[in-house]
Amino acid sequence: MAGSDARTGTPPSTRRQALVDAFRYRRQALTERLPELPGVAYVFLLPFFVLFAVFLLFPILYTIYLSFFTFQGVGGTTVFAIDLGFFYFPVQTISNLEFVGLRNYERLLTDRQFHNAMYNTVFILLFQVPLMITIALGLAVALDASFVRLRGLWRTTLALPISANLVAYATVFVLLMQEQGLVNYALGLVGIGPIPWFTSEFWSRFTIVGAVTWRWTGYNMIILLAGLQNVPQQLYEAAEIDGANRLEKFRYVTLPQLRPVLLFVAVTSTIGTFKLFSEPLIVSDAGAPLSATRTIVQYIYETAFIDFRLGYASALTWVLIAIVSALSVFQIKALGGDDGA
Amino acid sequence: MREAQREFAWKVLTYAVLLVATLVTIVPLYWILVAMTLPESAFLSTATEPRLLPGGHFAENFAALQGRVDVAILGVERVLGFELGFLGAIGNSILIATVYTSLSILLCSMAGFAFAKYEFEFKEPIFYSILATLVLPIQLLVIPLFLLMSRLGMTNTYWAIILPWAANPLGIFLMRQNMKSIPDALLESARMDGATEFQVFYRVALPTMKSSLAALSIILFLFQWNLFLFPLVILGQDKYTIPVAISDLIGAQRVYYDQIMVAAGLSIVPIFLLFLFLQKYFVSGILAGSVKE
Amino acid sequence: MTGERGSHDRRTVLKGLGVGGAAALAGCITGGRDDTTDGGDVGMADGVTAWSWDVAAESLDLTDEPYEEANGGSVTVEQFGRADMKDKYKSQLLAGEGAPAIATMESVDAAAWVDTNGLRDISGWIDDAGIKDGFVAGKWGPLEKDGGTYALPWDIGPVGTFYRKDVLESNEIDLTTVETWDQFIEEGKKLPDDQYMINLPSNDYDGLWRMLYRMLGGQPFAEDGAVAFDNDESVAVARTLKRVRDAGIANDVASWSSAWFNAFKEGSIASLNGGAWMEGTLKAELGGTAGKWRVMKPPAFSKGGPRATNWGGSNLVIADQVSDAKAQRAFDYMQFTLASKEQQLKMYQEYGIFPAYEPAYQSEAFDEGHDFLGGQGAGRLFADIAPEIPPYRYTVDTPEVTKAINENFSSMMAGDVSPSEAVSQAAQDVADRTGRDIA
Repeated sequence: MAGSDARTGTPPSTRRQALVDAFRYRRQALTERLPELPGVAYVFLLPFFVLFAVFLLFPILYTIYLSFFTFQGVGGTTVFAIDLGFFYFPVQTISNLEFVGLRNYERLLTDRQFHNAMYNTVFILLFQVPLMITIALGLAVALDASFVRLRGLWRTTLALPISANLVAYATVFVLLMQEQGLVNYALGLVGIGPIPWFTSEFWSRFTIVGAVTWRWTGYNMIILLAGLQNVPQQLYEAAEIDGANRLEKFRYVTLPQLRPVLLFVAVTSTIGTFKLFSEPLIVSDAGAPLSATRTIVQYIYETAFIDFRLGYASALTWVLIAIVSALSVFQIKALGGDDGA
Repeated sequence: MREAQREFAWKVLTYAVLLVATLVTIVPLYWILVAMTLPESAFLSTATEPRLLPGGHFAENFAALQGRVDVAILGVERVLGFELGFLGAIGNSILIATVYTSLSILLCSMAGFAFAKYEFEFKEPIFYSILATLVLPIQLLVIPLFLLMSRLGMTNTYWAIILPWAANPLGIFLMRQNMKSIPDALLESARMDGATEFQVFYRVALPTMKSSLAALSIILFLFQWNLFLFPLVILGQDKYTIPVAISDLIGAQRVYYDQIMVAAGLSIVPIFLLFLFLQKYFVSGILAGSVKE
Repeated sequence: MTGERGSHDRRTVLKGLGVGGAAALAGCITGGRDDTTDGGDVGMADGVTAWSWDVAAESLDLTDEPYEEANGGSVTVEQFGRADMKDKYKSQLLAGEGAPAIATMESVDAAAWVDTNGLRDISGWIDDAGIKDGFVAGKWGPLEKDGGTYALPWDIGPVGTFYRKDVLESNEIDLTTVETWDQFIEEGKKLPDDQYMINLPSNDYDGLWRMLYRMLGGQPFAEDGAVAFDNDESVAVARTLKRVRDAGIANDVASWSSAWFNAFKEGSIASLNGGAWMEGTLKAELGGTAGKWRVMKPPAFSKGGPRATNWGGSNLVIADQVSDAKAQRAFDYMQFTLASKEQQLKMYQEYGIFPAYEPAYQSEAFDEGHDFLGGQGAGRLFADIAPEIPPYRYTVDTPEVTKAINENFSSMMAGDVSPSEAVSQAAQDVADRTGRDIA
C-alpha cells in the first residue's frame, strides 16, 4: 500500500493536497450556515428543559448546596418550600448540616486518597480510551467493508458484552483471570506468565483496562458503524475517480466525515472512564490493592455511602464535574474543528 | 494480478480481525451459557478443570432461581394465574427499557436537531451544561432523587426510573453529532416547499438518520437495561429489573452462583433479539440518494 | 413454654401504655411526627416489614409465624442481597423516607449507621423489658451513643479455626495439639508446595488483623476517640501475619470468590478462620466435604494466651422515620425473636446463627455433635469462647482503619516496610484522614 503514490506518478504532497481541498469543499457545502429562526430551537429543546427542571435540577442544586456543609445526621428542618397549592415541596436540609464554607474544597487539596484515586483513574483512562477507540474503529471499518458476509451476526455478537449482566460477567471474568485461570493457562502455552492479574499493583490496573475494553468496545463499534453508514457514498466515488487508494480514502473521506461521531465516542468514553465504578470494585473484591485500583467515583461512593461524608462527597463530585467538563470542551474544540459546536 | 492479491490479502485480514475479536468476545459469554447448565459445585471447580460442554442441570438451576426470585409485572402474573419468578424481572426490564427508549428517542433527536441545525442564543453554554450532567455520578444523586420521587408520589413506579433521564444527554449529544451530516440544502428545499419546522425535522431529517437512530435506540435501551443503583433504591422487589434481581443473589454467607448464571444467561436473549430486530436499519449509504448537489 | 408466652403478652401491654405516653410527649416537642395513620394513638401497627439477607432472612422467617400466633402482629420478611440491602436501606435512611420498620445491621457498620441519627433510640424499651443483661456484654459498645441504644443484638461470630482434618492427616499434621501460631506455622510447613495451610488475601488483611488484635484485647480507638492501634499488640499481629506469609504456608485467593470456595473444596487451602456462622456457609456451599472438617480455637500468640475473638455478627434496628405504632410492633417482634431462648435456638439449629443471647447457651442443643464436623460438639466450643470475647470499639471511622491496614500491610508483605512501620503508618494515615489524635 505504501507503493501507491509511486504508481500514479504524481508527487504525493500535491495530490494529497488536492484531495484534501476537494473534500473540505464538499464538507463545507454540507454545513455552511445554519438558519436563525427565533424560538424554534428552544421549542425543540423544551421537553429536555421540562424534564430536567422537574427531575434533575433539585438533586443537582442539592449536591452543590451540600458541598459547603458537613453532614451531621438525618432529621432536618425546612429551609424553604415551593408551594403551588396543589403541589407542596418543602426543601429540607434532609439532614443536620454544619456550614463549613469552602473547607470541603480545601480538604481536597491535601487528600492523598483523592489524589491517588484521580491518578488511578487517569492512568486507566490513558490506556483504555485510545485502545478501545482504535479497536472499535478497526472493527467498524472491517464490518463496513462491502464484501463482508453475515454482517448482522458479527455485529450482534461483538456488541453483546454490554448486555451481559455485571454480576455474572464479574464472576466469569474473575475465574478466567485468576492465577490458575484460563488466561494464564493460555499465556503459559506460549511461555508467558503466570501473571498476577489481580494481586499485583501494576497488572491490576491493566486488568481493569482489559475488562472495560471487553465490555464497551462492541458498543462503540455500533455507534461508529452507524456513523460510517451516514457517509455519503458519492464522496468515496469521487475519491476513487481522483485515484485515492484504500488508505487515502480512509484518511481523507472516512475520518473527516466520521469526525463528529468519533468525537462523540471519544468524549463519552472519556466521561465513562472517569465514572468507572463497577470494574474497579470487582477487581478489588478479587484481591487487587485498593491504592492501585480505586477510582474517583469509587472513592466518592465510599465517602458518601460508607463514611456518610455527604458534604465532602458532593465537593468531590463537583470537582470531578469541573475537570471532566473542561476536558470535554477541550476535546470538542480540538477535535471538532471548523464546525465545532 | 497484484491488485487482486492485495484485495485478497485485505479480505483475509478483515476476516481475521473480526474472528479474533469475536472469539475474545464470546469466551466469557459462552462460559456463562455453560455455567447455566452446571450444578453449583461443578461450576465452582471450573476454576481448575474448565468445562467446555454444557451439563444437564439447567432445569434444576432454573427451578432454584424461580424459587428464590419473585417479581411481578403489571398484574400479568395474576392474569396468568402463576408466579413469574425471574421472568417477571426480564419482563420489567423489557417494558421499562422499551417505553424509555421510545420516549427518549424522540426527545433526544429533537434536541440534537436543534443543536445541529439551528443558530440560537446560548447554544454553546446550554449544550455544554447538558454534557456536564453526563458526568454526574448517580451514586451521589440517588438520595436527593429518591426524596424527590417520594414527594412526587412516584416511588416504586416505573415512571420514576423512566422519566429522569428521558432526555438523555448521551442521546442528545449523539444526535447532534450525527445530524450535522444532514445537508442543509435538503432542509432548505423542504422549507421552500412550505414545510413547517417540525415537518422539516420529522419528515425530512429523521428519515435520513435510520442507522443513527438504530444506534441511538441501542444506546438508550442499554442505558436503561444496565441501570442498577437507582432502581435498587426506588423500586420494590415486586418491580425489580434484571440487574437488581440478580444482584440480590449475592448474600452475606451465600452467593448463589448457579442461579446467577441462569439469570444472566436468560437476560442476554432479549438483547440478542433487539439487535436482530434493529438489523434492517443498519443499511449503508442512506443519505446517498437524497443529496441533491 | 406457655408460661413464657403469657408473661410476654403482659409485658407487651405494659410497654404499649408506657410508650404511648412517651410518644404523646415527644409529639408536643417535635411538632408531630408523620404519624397520621394511627393518629398518635396508643397501640401497635398490625404489620411491619423486616429487611435482611440470605441465611439471616431465612432464619427470621422461622420466627415470624410463631410471633403472629403468639402476639398477633404480622412480620413480612424481605430478603435482599447483602450489599443491596445496605445500599437501599442507607439511601432511605439518609433521605428520611421509605425505610422499613426493621432492618439488619452488622456490628461493623453500627457506629456509622448510628451516627446518622436515622435510627431509633430503643434504650427505654430495652430497660422496660429488662433484657439487657441477657446479651453478651461485648456486643453493646457499637450500638450505643450518648446514652442511647440503637439496636438489639442478634448473633455473634466467636471465631474458630476450621480445618480439613483429612487433608492435614494425610500430611501427618495434627492440629489438636497446636496452641500457638508458632506451632501452627511449623505444622503448616509440612504441607507440599501446592497446598496451603491458610488463606491470606491482600484485600482482607484488615479482617485477620482485626480478629487477632481483638483477641489480644486491642482497641482501634481509645475511649476519647484517639487512634489507638499503634502499639505492641498490633505490631505482634502484623509480625505474625508477615511470618505466615514468609513461611509460604498462605495462599492469597480473594475471599468469597468461587476460587476460594473451590480451594476449600479441594483442600488446597486446609484451614480457615471464621465466625461460628462459617460452618453454615461451608455446609451449604461445600456439602460434599461434610464430615471432613473439624474446628478448634484459633491459635494464641503465646502458650496459655487468650484465644477468644469475634468475626461478624448482626443486630436488628428500627428506623427513626417510621411511626411510633410501627416502631412498637417492630420492637415487640425483635424482643420476641432475639431475647428468647426458644427462638434463638431455632435459628441456631436450623441455620447455625450463633446467638448473642446467653441464656440460649444453657440448652443441650449446644452439646450436640455436628455431622459436618464429623460429630464434633462445636456449639459448646463456641459457647465457651463467647463470654470471653473482648469488647471492641467500632467508630464511624472504622472504614478508614480497614483501608489503612490493607494498604500499609500490602507494603509490609512486599518487604518495603517493617511490621512496626506499617502499623505506625496505618495509624498515622487514619489520624490524617479523620483529624483524630494518636493515642
